[in-house]
Amino acid sequence: MSQTTPVPPPPPPVTHAPPPYVAPAVDPTGPVAPPVARPVADPTAPSLWAEPASEAAEPSAPRVGGIRDDQLPGRLDVLHLSQWFNKRKVLERCSLSMEPGEVTALIGPSGCGKSTFLRALNRMHELVPGAELSGQVLLNGVDIYGVDMSPTEVRLRIGMVFQKPNPFPAMSIADNVLAGLGLSGSKTDDPEWLVEQCLRRAGLWTEVKDRLGESGMSLSGGQQQRLCIARSLAVHPDVLLMDEPCSALDPISTRVIEETIRELCHDITIVIVTHNMQQAQRVSDQCAFFLVETLGEPGRIVEHGPTERMYSNPSDPRTLDYVNGRFG
Amino acid sequence: MTVELERTDTIWLDEPVDAPPVDDAPVSGAAVDPVDDAPEPPAEDPDVPFRPSSFGPSDRLEMVLAAVSGLAFAWALCLVMDWSHPLTFAIWAIVWFVAGIYVTARARTSKVVAMDRLVTTLIWLSGAFAVAVLGWMIVFVLVEGIGGLVDDLPRGEWIARIGAVALMVAVVAVVRWRVGRREAQGSAGVVTRLLPRLVGSACAVGALVVLLSVINTEFFTSDIAEVGPLDEGGGIYHALIGTLEQITIATVISVPIAILTAIYLHEIKGRLAVPVRFIVDAMSGLPSIVAGLIVFTVWVNTGRGFSGASAGVALAIIMIPIVTRTAEEILRTIDDGLRESALALGAPQWRSVVQVVLPTARAGLITASILGVARAIGETAPVLLTAFGSAVTNYNPFSAPQADLPLFIWGLLREPNEAQIARAWSAAVVLLLLVLVLFITARVIGERGARKRTGR
Repeated sequence: MSQTTPVPPPPPPVTHAPPPYVAPAVDPTGPVAPPVARPVADPTAPSLWAEPASEAAEPSAPRVGGIRDDQLPGRLDVLHLSQWFNKRKVLERCSLSMEPGEVTALIGPSGCGKSTFLRALNRMHELVPGAELSGQVLLNGVDIYGVDMSPTEVRLRIGMVFQKPNPFPAMSIADNVLAGLGLSGSKTDDPEWLVEQCLRRAGLWTEVKDRLGESGMSLSGGQQQRLCIARSLAVHPDVLLMDEPCSALDPISTRVIEETIRELCHDITIVIVTHNMQQAQRVSDQCAFFLVETLGEPGRIVEHGPTERMYSNPSDPRTLDYVNGRFG
Repeated sequence: MTVELERTDTIWLDEPVDAPPVDDAPVSGAAVDPVDDAPEPPAEDPDVPFRPSSFGPSDRLEMVLAAVSGLAFAWALCLVMDWSHPLTFAIWAIVWFVAGIYVTARARTSKVVAMDRLVTTLIWLSGAFAVAVLGWMIVFVLVEGIGGLVDDLPRGEWIARIGAVALMVAVVAVVRWRVGRREAQGSAGVVTRLLPRLVGSACAVGALVVLLSVINTEFFTSDIAEVGPLDEGGGIYHALIGTLEQITIATVISVPIAILTAIYLHEIKGRLAVPVRFIVDAMSGLPSIVAGLIVFTVWVNTGRGFSGASAGVALAIIMIPIVTRTAEEILRTIDDGLRESALALGAPQWRSVVQVVLPTARAGLITASILGVARAIGETAPVLLTAFGSAVTNYNPFSAPQADLPLFIWGLLREPNEAQIARAWSAAVVLLLLVLVLFITARVIGERGARKRTGR
């Protein structure tokens, strides 16, 4: 993994602004580019999303393709992602790469857009009425917001675990694990093997193997959350997004889930949002620090890089302050 | 409360352990030996749990005094003024009782506390009033109508049967109590465990048989086609058949429409959700006679004639808004996280609704449907315009007039003969019991569903 980030070169060729605005838009601290969300009819916007596209994305595309061949699937590249809720910009031109086989932690104080960013990675952002975005999210070099991409297919490849453990109450433990198959319309030859496999990977098998027929609601909170992880694994996603998976759990369950995450990251890309800085330090390989500088401004990625460096020797003083608990 | 107290005690007891140990104490002594000036641990007096209450003995005394004085005052007033109506008595007794509550409380406490007591008393009284009125109605209907539902037996036979039922119920109660106690003790052989249960079950079945044997079967198995105006006998069979068929038709039509509408309103949240919700709301206030009138005009009066099916359609119009709103409320109680989880697993929305939302909401949706049925089963006006009513048993809901229970009651209560009126009251008891059973079923299913949702 490179120390520097695999984002395209500094003067971003991708711009949402009409030509006269190109120069100011380069400077991230400068005036905000006019919010040109995708649905907005702007003459320059379509070119970004047009299919062969984008000489704009050209510089990064070959690299992405090259890496994909000799690595695990599930490489996520986010390019200049901006997000809006009801015309209010909440995230400003964020770029980040999430490598396969690694855990990427998104840290930062509340309300800085970490979860919003995460939800854009598997097209959950658009479920909120009035939500818009611009920029690109590439899964193995393919834009998940491409014209022909169906959200259900994207979500099948990029799974998600939520803050609150929420097994389906009307299903047994085994049915919960298999729920994703029925929900996405796929099948398996050997459901029992799949249930065992997924529960083992989620670190729950030994605790529930004798009670697979019981309701998922009969489990404890930590077990429920691991059941949700197992449920996400059953559809074989390339990427697993976790939105504060431990914030509703006790320290012991948290530790078990963290161990599970470390196990899983060998064959799946994991992106985890966490409020807990120690947790980010424990589980993640890469780290991205989100921050809203002044109230009302959109959030930005202040700094990102290997977790070790982010915690020992960050280049931005605000990161140092945050990881040392001086604010946030 | 108790837990709080215990915890305080523990902290207090631990205090000396944390204090610096006395110099000459042995290493292990710090924890074992109490420091000299440490207070004696209050281990001897056992913890007696109590429930803190804002209603003490003096409050109780005041309440009794106010009640007695209220009754006495009302009695004296009625005597002096020569009033004889029980309602007058009750009103004066309550007024004096409430005033008494305030005055006694004011004499002992502050104005704020007395006012609080006054308002609490008034709220309790209004609750009691509502329960009393409803209870009185149910008892009244039962008293008027129960005679027609049971066989006409000589007095001795009645006493014998009631005695037998009471005896068997008593045996069942004793057996349940004994079995419960023995299980708590945990000692029981096969015989001692099985025998009382066998006896108990036999007695329960016996009591049920005796109760059922008292029921007037003719009332449930015959119609009134052949019964003259002054005759005894006859029954509600034709009305039961009509009610059953019409309600089934109404349910089959309205429940799918209502649940799909609720899904549109809350799951799909379509662009028309706001106007649709408005119309559904307005429809729930639709006078039921208007629903009947509509069906009468477009169906019955266009040459097809009266029929049970047209009544079913009219009842469906009444049920749809009720079931829709209740079902929407049920869908609202389902955690959005479940929907998002389903979508995050790559589900299209319809699969998320069919496989996750509806199964989770199943119990609630059944409850919603039953509440709709309970509302429709007692409707008279729309049925009058569509099924018209009949004295003969008509099994075919698609042609010819058909009876049902509300129509039967309405028709017979207007007759001048004792026998007819008694029959109507008995039918009213049956209708009341039907609605009661429906409501209890709805409640039981709903609670079971809620327990399942919360995982308990």
